[in-house]
Amino acid sequence: MSELLQLEALGSSGPYRTRNRLTISDLTGTPVAELSLVPRLFVQRSLAALHLAHTVPADERARVIAQAGQAFATGIIGGLSIEEYQHIVSRVSGMPISVVRTATEAITHSAAEAYRSAVRARPHGSVHDWRDPLTRRGDAVWTRRARVLAVHAPGNEPAVHTQWLEALALGYRVAVRPSQREPFTPHRLITALREAGFGTGHVVLLPTDHSVADDIIRAADRAMVYGGQQVVNKYGNDNTVLSQGPGRSKILLTDDDWQPHLDTIVDSVSALGGMACINATAVFVEGDPTPVAEAIAERLAAIPSLPPDDDKAVLPTQPLAVAKATERYLLDHAGNATAHLGGDGIVDDLGDGSAVMRPAVFQVDRSDAPQTGIELAFPCVWVAPWSRAEDIQPLKNTLVLTVINGDEALIDRLVDEPTISNVYIGDHPTHWMRPGIPHDGYLAEFLMRTKAMIRD
Amino acid sequence: MDQVPDPEELIEAAIQWHFDPRTGSRFWLERARTLDFDPRRDVRTFADLRLFPNVANELRDIRVEDLIPTGYGPKADVVGVFESGGTTGAPKRVVLLADWMNCLMTHQMQVMDERGDPRDVDWLSLGPSGPHLFGEIATWQARLRGGMKFSIDMDPRWVKKCLRDGRTEEADRYAEHLIDQGVFVLETQDIGIMMTTPPLLERIARRDELVSLINEKLQLIIWGGAQMDADTRDLFRTEIFPEVRLCGTYGSTMILGTATERTGLTENDPMIFDPFSPYISFSVVDPVTGEDVAYGERGQVVMNHISKSMLLPNNLERDVATRIQPLPRQLGDSVADVTPVAVFENEAVIEGVY
Repeated sequence: MSELLQLEALGSSGPYRTRNRLTISDLTGTPVAELSLVPRLFVQRSLAALHLAHTVPADERARVIAQAGQAFATGIIGGLSIEEYQHIVSRVSGMPISVVRTATEAITHSAAEAYRSAVRARPHGSVHDWRDPLTRRGDAVWTRRARVLAVHAPGNEPAVHTQWLEALALGYRVAVRPSQREPFTPHRLITALREAGFGTGHVVLLPTDHSVADDIIRAADRAMVYGGQQVVNKYGNDNTVLSQGPGRSKILLTDDDWQPHLDTIVDSVSALGGMACINATAVFVEGDPTPVAEAIAERLAAIPSLPPDDDKAVLPTQPLAVAKATERYLLDHAGNATAHLGGDGIVDDLGDGSAVMRPAVFQVDRSDAPQTGIELAFPCVWVAPWSRAEDIQPLKNTLVLTVINGDEALIDRLVDEPTISNVYIGDHPTHWMRPGIPHDGYLAEFLMRTKAMIRD
Repeated sequence: MDQVPDPEELIEAAIQWHFDPRTGSRFWLERARTLDFDPRRDVRTFADLRLFPNVANELRDIRVEDLIPTGYGPKADVVGVFESGGTTGAPKRVVLLADWMNCLMTHQMQVMDERGDPRDVDWLSLGPSGPHLFGEIATWQARLRGGMKFSIDMDPRWVKKCLRDGRTEEADRYAEHLIDQGVFVLETQDIGIMMTTPPLLERIARRDELVSLINEKLQLIIWGGAQMDADTRDLFRTEIFPEVRLCGTYGSTMILGTATERTGLTENDPMIFDPFSPYISFSVVDPVTGEDVAYGERGQVVMNHISKSMLLPNNLERDVATRIQPLPRQLGDSVADVTPVAVFENEAVIEGVY
């Protein structure tokens, strides 16, 4: 027990081990690490240091972030090799190890591209630097809206941490409050950033308990907060907080010719262990949804149950109690939906205290059935009928919408709809992402502004 | 009262006094009728105090005259009426009599002398006065140590109300307003000792100039009225106020006093509070079974006040603490690392992927 891995807070004067530590256990309940939880006073002082720090020049920022991304995937950081890190994340979060490996590569790639990705959001009608000769005759300079960004990070997917790298690339100082479920990724990333050359006063890791969480947001200029609908409700009206709520990503199939696209549909539901906001939660079918639901169910049913650190694992694993609670929630809320898969339960007990979450496919009889908004952290999809008469109403409030065989008029309407963040046409799964392509708008829209300048 | 009595003798004498129709308070004499035991026959030891029901809630609406033992006669020397914070509805009220205050102060002066606390310096109380005991204790301590007491009043109920209603900004502004006023005193007067609360101390820590002034001027900061964890204590000691001694107190209106942070604790020790035994005593219990937890384990704090002036046994507080071995001859246990009863992060949230 005394040999537990120590995840210290990464404060503005270096790593900091507290007495108040949270034991992080793997899926079977075996303790893996201790996370130092910092008190309010430490949060306060760390944020004060971030406010005082001077911005690192852009060239240096871009170089250091890229270098840290390399080290993240190759180096020994905090005593852990990349393989050890990936294994722990998989054993703690239940995410299939292959997904963790892919996420690791995505972090390296995104770090290399962080600056390029971030500045792609710069308006055409602006320049990077006030020294640009264009400002002599009057132009706009692209500048930071503020200085310090707080991030309440999630623990569902390591690659979500690439988002705040862009803020760092833009010259923000960043305070990350890690998830208590999976603090390993931001700990490794911030340690790598510091080893690559970022000052301790520029990026900090502040694990806290719930009572101090809001203090981090209040002490920062801007904040990104990941969470469920309650987070969206809490911060929705605060324009200094960017809330990242449920994705409720969807697929729309507009004619009978869906069979060639089955791979895309199944992949959208089950890639990334079905744990991401960019996994499809609902499939809307013009015509008869039953054969679609049956086909998805048949494909998903064939996926084997394997522990998460098995190379071939595809499905997520959770502690048995969590898996059972999720199963109960699903079955309690399925209502009159027809089960094509998972109607008798989704828990596959591995016998070691953990359980694989088997896929679920349910069919509802109306496009406005409330079940289509139920997003759970495993491959779980609601198949619903859709007709042109209903127009785009059922497709609103969506992070990613993949449209198969849509016509131009319909696509016009979807692209125009403010509550749909991303529209993919054709064989592109909902989880398609690339550095430099916005995830939910460019982050820089939230972090940057233009300023008029004219000079002699 | 200078002589600290033997614990069991105190319990015996106090029970006889409070339940004798000639000396007991109207409150206890009436309450005794509905007890399913006879205190004068059945209560002799510390363990027997558990027979009593927790009567703290009844102090919300009792006439305070009925709390004074009739043995004091019609002209009891009353220092004041004091009220709880009011976190859980209407406040609880107690009467503090002069003989108890003198007894408490004699003890506290001894503690302060043993700690080497300064005499003949002025005090600043930056915290609740009004119906709360916090400011009154500072008043007496300052006077007995030869200092003048300056006071900035804080209404903790208003702060709690703001926070409960989600008006954090208003609570922030109020707290900053209090500190602004404290700055005028600290800048101009010969303050050597400041009494305040941990949340105010955390806010003070944000003001670099004020922190420097306090390091230059103050010899001692006494904090109380809310809890501080050991990690925070260390930051205060090592990074923020390295030039000032910090001493914590842990009290409750329901014990008419405070327990004092044990002196000589190192950074590796838990933050231990020793009560003024035998008048004030603590247990640490499992909230479900009501049994004592083992030493070193966490449990909910039970407080007892036993004096001639008042009997308030078996009061389960809303605090969690580690049970610590008592000092020699102490009644009950000491407590460490006190926190409010935990509010668990909602782990049952299932929907959504974050």
